[in-house]
Amino acid sequence: MRWLAAMLSVLAFCGVARAAPVNTGHLTAEIVAQTQGVAPGRTTYVALRQQIQPGWHTYWKNAGDSGQATMIAWTLPAGWTAGPFVWPTPKRLPVGPLMNYGYEGEVLLPVPVSAPADARPGQTVLLKAKASFLVCREICVPEDANLQIALPVTPAPAPTDPAWGGPIGKVLAAAPKPAGLTAAFQRKGANLALAVVGAPLRGGDVHDVYFYPDDSTVIDHAKPQGLDRGPNGLTLTLSPGYAFQGGAAPKAIAGVLAVDGKAYQLSAAPGPLPAGAGGLGPPLPKAALDGGLTLIPAALFAFLGGLILNLMPCVFPVLAMKAASLAAHGGREQALARRHGLAFGAGVLATFLALALALIGLKAAGAEVGWGFQLQSPPIVAALALLMLAVALDLSGVFEVGTSLQGAGAGLAARSGLVGDVFTGALAVIVAAPCTAPFMGAAVGWALTQSAAAALAVFLALGAGFALPFVLIAFAPGLLARLPRPGPWMGAFRKLLAFPMYGAAAWLAWVLTLQAGASALARILAAAIVLAFAAWLAGAAQKRAAAGARPLALGAGAGVLGAAALAAAVWPAYAATPLAAGPARAEAVAEAYSPSRLAALRSDGKPVFVNYTAAWCVSCQVNDRVVLSTRPVIEAMKRDGFTYLKADWTRRDPAIAAELARYGRAGVPLYLVYGAGGAQPVILPAILTEGAVIHALDAGAAKAG
Amino acid sequence: MGPARRTALVALAALGFAAPALAAPQIDAPAPDFQAADARGRVRALADYRGRIVVLEWTSDACPYSHKHYDSGNMQRLQAKARRQGVVWFTVMTAPRASAEYMTPPEVRAWKRKVHSHATAVLIDSDGRLARAYEAKTTPHMFIIDPTGRLVYMGGIDDRPFTDPKSLKGADNYVADALADLKAHRPIAHPVTRPYGCSVKYPPL
Repeated sequence: MRWLAAMLSVLAFCGVARAAPVNTGHLTAEIVAQTQGVAPGRTTYVALRQQIQPGWHTYWKNAGDSGQATMIAWTLPAGWTAGPFVWPTPKRLPVGPLMNYGYEGEVLLPVPVSAPADARPGQTVLLKAKASFLVCREICVPEDANLQIALPVTPAPAPTDPAWGGPIGKVLAAAPKPAGLTAAFQRKGANLALAVVGAPLRGGDVHDVYFYPDDSTVIDHAKPQGLDRGPNGLTLTLSPGYAFQGGAAPKAIAGVLAVDGKAYQLSAAPGPLPAGAGGLGPPLPKAALDGGLTLIPAALFAFLGGLILNLMPCVFPVLAMKAASLAAHGGREQALARRHGLAFGAGVLATFLALALALIGLKAAGAEVGWGFQLQSPPIVAALALLMLAVALDLSGVFEVGTSLQGAGAGLAARSGLVGDVFTGALAVIVAAPCTAPFMGAAVGWALTQSAAAALAVFLALGAGFALPFVLIAFAPGLLARLPRPGPWMGAFRKLLAFPMYGAAAWLAWVLTLQAGASALARILAAAIVLAFAAWLAGAAQKRAAAGARPLALGAGAGVLGAAALAAAVWPAYAATPLAAGPARAEAVAEAYSPSRLAALRSDGKPVFVNYTAAWCVSCQVNDRVVLSTRPVIEAMKRDGFTYLKADWTRRDPAIAAELARYGRAGVPLYLVYGAGGAQPVILPAILTEGAVIHALDAGAAKAG
Repeated sequence: MGPARRTALVALAALGFAAPALAAPQIDAPAPDFQAADARGRVRALADYRGRIVVLEWTSDACPYSHKHYDSGNMQRLQAKARRQGVVWFTVMTAPRASAEYMTPPEVRAWKRKVHSHATAVLIDSDGRLARAYEAKTTPHMFIIDPTGRLVYMGGIDDRPFTDPKSLKGADNYVADALADLKAHRPIAHPVTRPYGCSVKYPPL
């Protein structure tokens, strides 16, 4: 250990020799180097390090309304050159009605230093500098420091300095850089509009934005900077500075645009503002974005949402079927009922866990995903359609799943396969995907913006809520006893429940044709027929087995055909066709959504209703048909001058996913009512009523008055 | 929303923004009027000086930038030259009573004598009203009002925004230039420049 310390100190002496830091009164200054030397003809960075007394500050290259930038004058050996400071993004330092830009605490101002090509390796050069600071609190004190650093000339590029290489590298990496932004400025009455577009600003997902001009006279620094977001960038409403008074207006406005912790250099030219730089309004306050949720309320919302999910049309048939099987126990076999309930619950939780892990994984991989995302993929929709068909065929009695051989003829009452219960739990979660219950949207949306642990907690709460009613029934003898007595009616009920499942299969086939065109219909129908045949074979095999015969050939045939049907449905990939328009119906005339269309309407001050929907989203479809297509709602939209935009998320669409995320949602439906003028949109609940929609539309229009 | 309603809205919004902007000093617009007590207790009103050129100079004895101009005699020379031409020169000290920078009237009178100021008077702006009316930002910050009461110059005293007295050598003194332009009935070459210096100490509102 001791020899290591000795080695290190020797190394330190071999490297850069720093002069002692200089205390100038209100700060301590020194020069530090990024590397342990510099090779001939190479450039390295040294940095002016300031440790400023608490409460005091020094200034950025544009000090703002008062103050003065830190300066440095170098005295270098012949042939050596030093460039200008690389200025880190400053802090805003308001003083009364004035605004300054500067630094507090510790700050590194890097400077590139180049060695001449004829520098001799082995030589150590002394870089001397006089640094001048204006250090201010309420009062200002000019302070100077004569600093120096000894830098060895190395034959090869020198290794990074162990103490300062990292910090200087960080400052250089974070310093504002050009990012291909296009910017223009224009007088708008008493204000100055600065519009910026470019790749880093696309999507309108910006929150904290500030423009630091290089020149102190182009804007009035102390005035607030109004932010309007657009699909391609943003527009800041600034107050013009002195430069716009008397004589010619500025030919360019250059500076640093700080956006959510990143900073970009830009130079704006006078002239018309670029398109798509506004119209979406100011960013939502952070609390509105995630609904102000924290883990506990989010988990509670998820739990409630899970409970209500049981009543949604997607899940109800599956659960009804399961409840019927529980009823079969008729309260007599308590222990057995409990085991069934727990197995079902385990199936639900495991599936939610798997779903959450898949979502988190995909999200980490950079995919824009959300609740119901699996239904955006045609092969999965096709596979689910076949699964629904298989369940329906099972309910119809064509074949039996989870039935032990000896009990094959005994009907539901004899079923004891716990595996079947786990499977039913998983199935219930899978079929729940097209439905969104109230409370769920906000909770899942929040979960996907949080850490993996928080997301898992929310999903498990959702699963717990979802599984609770069924598990409760299994554990409460009283409830169990209240279920209808088992009897022959159960066979009929079971066959009746097959029909909603056939319906679900047909509906998924429809979703598939919307996603993948008419040719997909032929494929899924063919696969369905093969599957039905396989099911019939399987049923025959089961009957034979029950009769004591060997059903090997029939069973194998059923398996092969079933696998073939599934394979045909998911492979080869479905052709990507333009999203087919839904069948014409008496719905309000909706325009296709695009961020630019929304932005254009919003910048004209027009009221807009945006419906984020998907063909596979049952909740959305129900809202569309039961509420949004009714005459009173259509008339209210007309009366109030609303433009109806439909954002169809049936297939993957990163723009829509980003917009959903902005409102803290991970999936559809989402209904936004943008009132006339520049107000923030009102978010409608996931389950709409005519009255609520008309009220929101009228209120939105009234904002104009 | 009809076009008429929208126009009304825009007009309202413009008014909302324009109200403070109108109060802010604008070149070639009437200079904001003021009434302020000088160090001798006499109330000076801008309106009383119609027909004469008026210079406003913000200063602070605690500011190294003001010190550069006073310690070198640069400011006093400029004041003396302007006064000889009939210019009214008001030095303004904006500082709340509670601040360390605040000077009582006797202290201001002593300061004026000590630095050999040639200003007509030193105005004590302890409530910051004068500073707010002109949006004075720095010490020094200079304003020139022509005989008709229009604001014709605002900005820095020169083009050297440094504290080092050596920076005065060869500086382009914008105030001297503007006064010369006014005297010669020429348009002012640089009517607006960047003010530099320490921040004006505003009392909290």
